[in-house]
Amino acid sequence: MSGAQQVTSAGHRDAMLARPAMKFERLVPWALVAPALVIALVFFGLPILNTLRMSFNLHVDQRVYVPGFTLDQYWMLVKNPIFSGSILTTVKLSLICAFSAVTIGYGFALLVWIGPPLWRVGFIGLALCPLLISEISIIFGWWMFFPKTGLLSHTLLSAGLIEDRFSLMYTEFAALVGLTYLTLPFSFFIILSILDGIDKRLLEASSDLGAGPLTTFREVMLPLTWPGMLVAFAHAFIWAMGTYATPSALGPDTLWTIGFLVQEQMLGRHNWPMASALAIVLVVGVASIMLLMRRLMARGGRFHD
Amino acid sequence: MTEAALAQSVGSGRLAGISVTVWRAAGIVFASFVTLYVLIPIGVTIAMSFNDGSFIRFPITSWSLRWYEGFFASTRWTQALANSLVIALGTTVISTVSGILAAWTFDRYNLPLKNVIYVLIMLPLFTPGVVLGLGIAIAFGGIEIGGWSFFGSRGSVVIAHSLWAMPLVFMLMEATFRTVDRRIIEASYDLGGRPVRTFFEIVLPMVSTGVISSALFAFVISLNEFVMALFLTSRGTQTLPVLMWLSLRSAGTPELAVTAVVLATAVFACMSLVMVWYVRQLRKLGR
Repeated sequence: MSGAQQVTSAGHRDAMLARPAMKFERLVPWALVAPALVIALVFFGLPILNTLRMSFNLHVDQRVYVPGFTLDQYWMLVKNPIFSGSILTTVKLSLICAFSAVTIGYGFALLVWIGPPLWRVGFIGLALCPLLISEISIIFGWWMFFPKTGLLSHTLLSAGLIEDRFSLMYTEFAALVGLTYLTLPFSFFIILSILDGIDKRLLEASSDLGAGPLTTFREVMLPLTWPGMLVAFAHAFIWAMGTYATPSALGPDTLWTIGFLVQEQMLGRHNWPMASALAIVLVVGVASIMLLMRRLMARGGRFHD
Repeated sequence: MTEAALAQSVGSGRLAGISVTVWRAAGIVFASFVTLYVLIPIGVTIAMSFNDGSFIRFPITSWSLRWYEGFFASTRWTQALANSLVIALGTTVISTVSGILAAWTFDRYNLPLKNVIYVLIMLPLFTPGVVLGLGIAIAFGGIEIGGWSFFGSRGSVVIAHSLWAMPLVFMLMEATFRTVDRRIIEASYDLGGRPVRTFFEIVLPMVSTGVISSALFAFVISLNEFVMALFLTSRGTQTLPVLMWLSLRSAGTPELAVTAVVLATAVFACMSLVMVWYVRQLRKLGR
């Protein structure tokens, strides 16, 4: 549009050329945004609506699905302890994971922020590693670390700290270690970016006024970084809710998350309506966390009231 | 105040209460804890990939390259590697082109329902991979065009991965385009440069760092992703992470460690290429 104006001012002959192009010009932004919009609408919007519809279909006679309308799947989610339990497990696991990711991420970001500049590049590179490595490779790494024949057991044994080899594999602890590993970099970078916007002289001012480090943290740092912590927490929580491989590969056999059941119902039992209902629960869960976060963020400015 | 001076003041006893040495020591302990945490799975994997034995067991008694030889001799693994690279390249092209065009539109033009479109484009990034994989498999599973079925094809995975990569490119490029000086674009128009020519000859070179980094992100995301790929690939189109996952479920051998190393090497090789390019770009500017 501004292009057209420029052309008009450029000369008479150009203006003649530009006039029939005006109508075309209005379509230009749509044409430019079209590829992204088509991908979002056709390959995201449509499948989500389709999944929603599928979750109301019938599942009878071992057929993948039978068109119809029933709330059976959603009723099952409440009634069947496997499904209701998996929802609870997922929420619990994601909460613990988000909490540890934010705690470790915060501590590490704080360290990078106040530490000598020389550390900074190295630690940022270190924090990038989990982001650049496939989830499956990370699972495999821990898979070799925790079992009886793994590195942990071997190291402690040769250090003389334990008498006999032991296994931490297939425990909730192992699942949490893996999940936190995946979400840690996000928390770290989100919180570090908030810290970088804070004037470090505030720390000095606080200690000049006689506050100890813990008081400074509580009274100065926490209110300033609160929104960042919220974002990091929500991000880790959403991410942890969605992963299915890590808990199922590192955790105990009974550790069924929603993501795991989606996969099992879809690929293992060919029960599409049930898999869809579980997926919808996941989407609703993620959406409500995001909305909740937005509300908290809007109130975040009034932390000290 | 410089950071060194700050570190000095932090260290000079003003953080009274508990003595400074204790805080320092705590910091170092914590830093080593995190460093160890991040490096353990990486180190274990690298060590195991050079194991000579047939089982995953510590301590490793003898070392060899036999699993690397095995990996590159096996058509199943190399086929999966090729699939992964093809899919990642496809994802990069599709998401970079669509993401950049959309971001440019958001920067330059007024669109009705701009906010709605923004949310629509960004939403897939926050949707779990399980949901996206399932949704696409259900919605497009039955589509066949002249004997070519969408389900199980590399194309379906490319589209699925673009759902994560495209919003990311869009987000990065939107921020990048905001840094472009509008007067330069106006100047180009004044000199008679048509919008398309201006875009390719003036704007793109100015934002090339953003373009390259977002393309890199798209590539890496696609290369590493495996949940969507698990839902959408068949035996012939399995990507490396999918094949790893399936092998891990049956029996883990040191071959998996080799695969993990190969995958990570591909990622870090791309990173280094981009770094080299970036440094050269900086030198050019310095001249």
